[in-house]
Amino acid sequence: MKRPLKNQIIIIGIVCGLLLLTTFFAGCMSSPATQPVTPAISTTAVPAPTALPTPQAVSTTKAPVVIATTSTPAPVYTYSEGNVVAFTAASLKGLTPKLATDFEKMYPGHHVVFNLDGTQALRTQVMNGAYADVFISASNAYTTELTNGGYFVDGTVKPLTSNYVIVILPANNPANIKSLADLAKPGIKIAMGDKSVPVGTATIAAIGNLAKSTYNQDWNTSVMKNIVTYETSEPGVATKVALGEVDAGFVYESTYTASPKGTYTAITIPKVDNYLQTYTIGVMKQSTSKSAASDFENFMLSTIGQQDLKDYGFRPV
Amino acid sequence: MNTPSIFSEKIQRTITCIGAAVLVASVTLYLAFPVVALFFRTTPELFFTSLSNPDVISALFLSLFTSTVSLGVVILVGTPFAYVHCRNDYPGKVIVDTLIDLPLVLPPAVAGLALLVLWGRMGILGHYLSLFGISIAFTTLAVIMAQIFVASPFYLRQAKSLFEQLDPVYEQTARTLGASPLRIFALITLPLTANGLVSGAVMTFGRALGEFGATIMFAGNLPGVTQTMPLAVYVGMEGNFTVGLTISILLVIISFAIMIAVRLLACREAPHA
Repeated sequence: MKRPLKNQIIIIGIVCGLLLLTTFFAGCMSSPATQPVTPAISTTAVPAPTALPTPQAVSTTKAPVVIATTSTPAPVYTYSEGNVVAFTAASLKGLTPKLATDFEKMYPGHHVVFNLDGTQALRTQVMNGAYADVFISASNAYTTELTNGGYFVDGTVKPLTSNYVIVILPANNPANIKSLADLAKPGIKIAMGDKSVPVGTATIAAIGNLAKSTYNQDWNTSVMKNIVTYETSEPGVATKVALGEVDAGFVYESTYTASPKGTYTAITIPKVDNYLQTYTIGVMKQSTSKSAASDFENFMLSTIGQQDLKDYGFRPV
Repeated sequence: MNTPSIFSEKIQRTITCIGAAVLVASVTLYLAFPVVALFFRTTPELFFTSLSNPDVISALFLSLFTSTVSLGVVILVGTPFAYVHCRNDYPGKVIVDTLIDLPLVLPPAVAGLALLVLWGRMGILGHYLSLFGISIAFTTLAVIMAQIFVASPFYLRQAKSLFEQLDPVYEQTARTLGASPLRIFALITLPLTANGLVSGAVMTFGRALGEFGATIMFAGNLPGVTQTMPLAVYVGMEGNFTVGLTISILLVIISFAIMIAVRLLACREAPHA
């Protein structure tokens, strides 16, 4: 008869003990500066990111690129000085591993994690409380919006690089498109970015310019009728073209230049009609490692960073 | 006989009561608060003005149309299929059983990519179809196919378990009285399982209505043709926040309306022997 009573006391004791342990760990984890090593985070080179320990978690959408940590014991994902969380426009996707390696070479001990997505998505995340040290925007409109909202540290918003719009076709060119005029042919399937995505507004502008200068408004209307999908990020357009499911897509020049030979055929848009997209970089006011963030900005603006961008097909500003 | 305890009987009961109340309250609030927050983030004026936005209207009608068609197909094809699957033992039954559950665990984006690779213009089957001028990807048909793929397990599993659990006595009696299998299925089995089938259909409709990953991968995102409400929310959330909110609220209202309608319909008593 004494058994149930003893069990009850044991259960109460365990519950109290667990509560005490939880409060103890919670207290430990909420002081990021003093705890460089947290128990749940692996410190070896892992390909997938694990959750950040502090309350203001970074909300990552598409796969953020992670660089392999070198032999240093310090983990990558804590908010100590030296770690940079960079919200980056998706069109820089293929370039981020090289950027991360070169950044580490230039500033040993610093690490960078990229959150890649359409600039419009990153802007929404930041405005709803996501943590970022650096913001690389593909559109002046969004940069202005964030500047007016007071998200950037004064004086850190600088032009980073630029990009033109280009038309890519699948390598075997199934619709036999030879020029921009062919884009208006009935039955052609075209993919482009949604108007909320920077590449989308650039495309609409470029098409408008072309209609005014070379082709006419009917061409403009026919091309827009041929659009079968408005993608939510620039790499999404490239994917649809690469899969051969659409006949043409409007992307940035950098995507075409950096792609392996033979993936796409391209038709250039004359510079005079084209829309030059200017990318900007800025340090976020909310950043808790501002010196590392400034170091990253300096790296991106330095000869090495600019050369990386140029090698990938971006144009100097 | 009271179990010995350091607490008195009354305190034990109070603790259990409080514990149960906390449990129910936390689950309810965790599910309800985000939904309620949607309504508080906008004003009625903003909501009604953005209702007249053409993107919102086209997304609404497209979603309702495609989800209804998907549900119709799933019910028409799925019910006889589940019946045949349950009443017969055929080679490979286990594999079919597993395949029915597959779309439940497959990430929707993977499902969309798989459909694209099969039915797309360069797809394994798709490129034969494109020779005849039939293209499936980036059409409303693609939306329906994607919705059927991801939502059918909900109905099929429900129908399967209902038919399996149905007491075979009814069907056997009808058989002895001379009814054909088809007549048994239509007049005996279906009325007895109607309630459960309806709830399966509700889940299927809800899943089809909310499908996003497979749709954007296989059907693309084109207002009026393939931009369903979830896609419009995603695009709207990033471009035009108010539109995104409006569509989200619409989805919540529709979901509630469906569930209430089903509760009322399902109130009818199933006939008992």
